[in-house]
Amino acid sequence: MSGKSNMKFFYLGIVIALLLSVLAPFLASPDPDGLESAAGGVIEESKMSELEEMEPALSSPMPDYSIEGMGKGGEVMAIAIGTIAVLAISFGLGKVFNKKA
Amino acid sequence: MHIPDSFIPLTQAIVYWVIAIPFIFMSMKWAKNELDEMKVPVLAALAAGIFAIQAMNIPIGMGTSGHMVGATLVAIVFGSPWAGVLVLTLVLLVQGFAFGDGGITTMGANILNMGIISGFVGYYTYVALRKSTGTSIAALGGAWLGLFISAIVCAVQMYIAGTFPLREGLIAMGTYHLIIGFIGEGLITAVVITAIAKSRPDLLEDNFTVRPEKSKKEAHA
Repeated sequence: MSGKSNMKFFYLGIVIALLLSVLAPFLASPDPDGLESAAGGVIEESKMSELEEMEPALSSPMPDYSIEGMGKGGEVMAIAIGTIAVLAISFGLGKVFNKKA
Repeated sequence: MHIPDSFIPLTQAIVYWVIAIPFIFMSMKWAKNELDEMKVPVLAALAAGIFAIQAMNIPIGMGTSGHMVGATLVAIVFGSPWAGVLVLTLVLLVQGFAFGDGGITTMGANILNMGIISGFVGYYTYVALRKSTGTSIAALGGAWLGLFISAIVCAVQMYIAGTFPLREGLIAMGTYHLIIGFIGEGLITAVVITAIAKSRPDLLEDNFTVRPEKSKKEAHA
């Protein structure tokens, strides 16, 4: 493994990830995912609406990958923020473990 | 397949956390022993890519969509299912806390299903298939089965939780994820692994593409 070409892989990964962040709000299917769709099919309606009304244990700052009042642009931004956060955390964690070794 | 808080009672959700925590710990141990300056950028790029691709839901018909999970892909690249557990744990943490995608109480179950089960089943299926087939077919088969089995386990968890009936839940989860597993997981994993195998065979820590006379450890030394 050469360090230089791994950095190429790193930059290529970032470019692809950010490209996906920009495209996802426009291209991703709005249909429910497998679990939600299964839930809609197998759970009785009254119980389903009860489950849907339950609040999550913790409210998140950008629910459903959106920023309030910002529409599609907010969605792009939310996913991009998440992508960069994951990148930074994994890079940081990798560096910490690497130093200890 | 991100389970929201409301789908699993708290006591059961804690049980899944208790099962997941030793695996998370082991994945950190893997990181400590295996990650070096060369591998950190690869890990970070894969983690970011997997977070982003999970936002890209692909329509599979029947009014349903699905997205890639990615644990098998990461496990194949690093030659270890622990890498998949680590990356999916990080991705699920950010998804749960920042975006409410998957619950906080149910994060243990989500890590168990998407990081541990899909990664371990996917990776070891790949290793078994790789003995008799090429990289792309083995990657497709591994990723496909890994996702499918994790969906079946999820359906059983939903039954234990009293959220889904067993038979209907298994049929619905199985049917949707058989398709999601093929398109969203299998094909994408196969394409990415094949591309890496062609352009950067040195990156794949897989004993089949590394010189066979050298053991894994020696090859990295």
